[in-house]
Amino acid sequence: MSVTEDTRLAAIEAVGTYIPRYRLSADVVTEAWGQFHGAGISETAVPAADEDTLTMGYEAATRVLDASDIDPTTIDGLFVGTTTPPTEEEAMGPRLASMLGLGEETKTRQFTGSTRAGVEALLAGSQRAKRRTLVIATDAPRGAPDDEQEHAGGAGAAAAVLGPSGAGQLPEHAEYVEVYPGTRFRSAGSTETTGLGITEYDRSAFIETVTKATAALDSDPTDADAVALQSPNGKLPYRTAGELGVETETIQQGTVVHAIGDTGTAGPLLGLASALTAGANRVLLLGYGSGGNATALTVVDEGIEVASTPIDEMETVGLSYGEYLRLRGEITAGEPAGGGAYVSVPSWKRTIPQRHRLVAGRCPDCGVLSFPPTGACPGCGALVDYEPAELPGTGTVEAVTAIGQGGAPPEFVEQQAKSGPYVSAVVALDGTEGSETVSIPAQVVSVDPEEVAIGDRVTATVRRLYTQEDVTRYGFKMQPTDR
Amino acid sequence: MRDVYLIGAGQTAFGAFPQRSYRDLFAKAYQHARKRVDGDIETKDIDEAVVGSLGVGGRQLGLSGPAVTEHVGLQNIPCTRVENACAAGGFAVRQAVQAIRSGMADVVLAGGFEVMSDLSSEMTKYWLGVSGETEWERLTGTTFSGVYAQMASAYLDTYDATVEDLSRVAVKNHKNGAKNPKAHLDFECSLEDAVGAPEVANPLNLYHCCPTSDGAAVALLASEDVVGEYTDDRLRVAGVGAASDHVGLAERDSYVGLAATETAAQTAYERSGVGPDDLDFAEIHDCFAIAELLAYEDLDFCERGEAAKLLREGITEPDGDLPVNTSGGLKSKGHPIGATGTGQMVEVFDQFTGQAGDRQLDSPRYGLTHNVGGSGGATVVHVFENEGVKR
Repeated sequence: MSVTEDTRLAAIEAVGTYIPRYRLSADVVTEAWGQFHGAGISETAVPAADEDTLTMGYEAATRVLDASDIDPTTIDGLFVGTTTPPTEEEAMGPRLASMLGLGEETKTRQFTGSTRAGVEALLAGSQRAKRRTLVIATDAPRGAPDDEQEHAGGAGAAAAVLGPSGAGQLPEHAEYVEVYPGTRFRSAGSTETTGLGITEYDRSAFIETVTKATAALDSDPTDADAVALQSPNGKLPYRTAGELGVETETIQQGTVVHAIGDTGTAGPLLGLASALTAGANRVLLLGYGSGGNATALTVVDEGIEVASTPIDEMETVGLSYGEYLRLRGEITAGEPAGGGAYVSVPSWKRTIPQRHRLVAGRCPDCGVLSFPPTGACPGCGALVDYEPAELPGTGTVEAVTAIGQGGAPPEFVEQQAKSGPYVSAVVALDGTEGSETVSIPAQVVSVDPEEVAIGDRVTATVRRLYTQEDVTRYGFKMQPTDR
Repeated sequence: MRDVYLIGAGQTAFGAFPQRSYRDLFAKAYQHARKRVDGDIETKDIDEAVVGSLGVGGRQLGLSGPAVTEHVGLQNIPCTRVENACAAGGFAVRQAVQAIRSGMADVVLAGGFEVMSDLSSEMTKYWLGVSGETEWERLTGTTFSGVYAQMASAYLDTYDATVEDLSRVAVKNHKNGAKNPKAHLDFECSLEDAVGAPEVANPLNLYHCCPTSDGAAVALLASEDVVGEYTDDRLRVAGVGAASDHVGLAERDSYVGLAATETAAQTAYERSGVGPDDLDFAEIHDCFAIAELLAYEDLDFCERGEAAKLLREGITEPDGDLPVNTSGGLKSKGHPIGATGTGQMVEVFDQFTGQAGDRQLDSPRYGLTHNVGGSGGATVVHVFENEGVKR
């Protein structure tokens, strides 16, 4: 056990968050099950059919970079923490680095296996004292349909940029480890997190580790304006108040679980963003991992840029329990037989700069934009070597349809079954010069299908497009610009 | 350049025949076409064959052309399969015309066939989408209904037309198809039915989409040098036009018209010396209701934005100034991909030779056929003239 005063740590420059727009309320679950096991939680966030921890992490990171106007090429570290990566093996880093436009020299790390992984990633990022590191904590834990992990399980992501010139100092950190098997775990091959549910034992594991880690810090926890604490449910964080010696209001300042559910690795960082927005200057950040161990960090804010916070997010959409089961894929049939349009992975790889970052091509002869930048120039008809031109990612809907049941090709039947009608459009993407545009086909998401009309302004994001041969293809989709 | 004449055309009924093979369907169409040649025609008289097919139910068969011609006893002749998606049949006719005009052949069979109904619905959708732009357009979750729906959205946004106008196409074509013994969906529908049907891809509903059909159709064409050996009727191929366009909609300059159709039509009108005002009927590619509206404008039947008026005023009804799709069109007669273009030849032959039964028009002289591949990536237009009887 150690208490560290490490002046060489990098500091937090900016934080941002992303929460999916769908919500499942405790009332709806109670109606379906007769009870709700997510103590202290009123609603949980549910990812859309084309979202996962990778796309949520991308969204949170994009918000931070955009809000602080940070050039992605100045970042050379990408540290991701999640308990629910889209694939158990195959790192998220390369895809995220590509989507975010980070350089080829970027150090990518993935922290997993414990809800503490978000705080671990932040701490590891801060230890790159003279470098700029992007830290992403993203999670969407699930459980068995009738258990507390499922009822509490939410979804969300937080991202932070750390660097030598950050305004959020991390003057101290400490860890504590004490073996507590069985409080929360996910067996190999399972998608459901579970636990033995031994209430007193689970509580001891949590309270002992976070309290001891905090005690190992130099400062007194009562100095903190807010405590941003791991939140497996909405009650456990508050149970620590007595042991930590802080007011429940102080914990409330850094706790968001009641409105979005258990966001796993992202929870403490989402709480931090929330506390900073509420005006906290000194935040005690506490990551807890089943097993068990805890990490305590003090954040001293002298002007951290907060791009977004989890609570005052976009407008939310409440789900019925049936809609929830559809969206989660619990009662959908999966991809039908018959196969889809086959795009081989190597040919897909060739188009990744376009799919991830909208890299168009400019004709060196006539200057007209082409997207994708292959084939004869749409302006002069010549076969040219295009000059890369990264588009800003905004555009206008030119033609639009909502694909109903029966209208989807087989590889999109599952998306249709999960989310209902989806919008497929032709969008005139803004170019980089003057009023030029280049048109592309794209889905429009995060909006009710009937609300999308010709002339609407839309902005690019990245979502799951489809999965073939178990390899998920991610690419840009558009969403209303006011999102 | 030698003139080319349509001397016979025949087809199977279009419909769902999952138990029939594509060779069997082709044989029936071939026999029907031969029977309809006035002076009969021997197998040995046919110099060459060009057949259109997308792929027989997604089974990527190689050499399906010779497989059908050899099956019917057309042995040892050159046979080429043409693939231009839903325009394969129309392009087969164009290839036949080229072969005859060049002097390489005197009598050429242009055929088409497809078997689609023996597949699961998902397999059918998988397969149909492959003629679109698969790397970008399809990966936004569209098949053709989605892409034509996008065109419809742009059209309804640009011009004074409504979903009800789209439904008028279904009502008209079903009314015609109900009189066609070869039609797949040979029933009438009310405007109410055609407006209230379940949505497939907004704004298109089920009645705005043609069925997928099985069937085969065969046209027999002959040079001016030998036409008299087979028939006294002179049904001349007056002009042919064809063009291509970007396969993906987003790459095109306009979403409210098919540039390939416009070009193909202009070429066919110029070469034939026949204009849209001269036409007595037209068989056009109404795979989706919006396609018929776009075609009216692309084929210069009316000004841009005026297509709905033609429907509202009954101009394209059988008793109107320019009857369109007296056969029932793709909507009612059916759409067996590779056979659709040659199936249009059967309607031309029926109308010119007075064999159209309840659909018969009053002595038409000029007719036009219009066949589109995919969402407009390939189009072929033929103009025909009935020169009357020569002995």
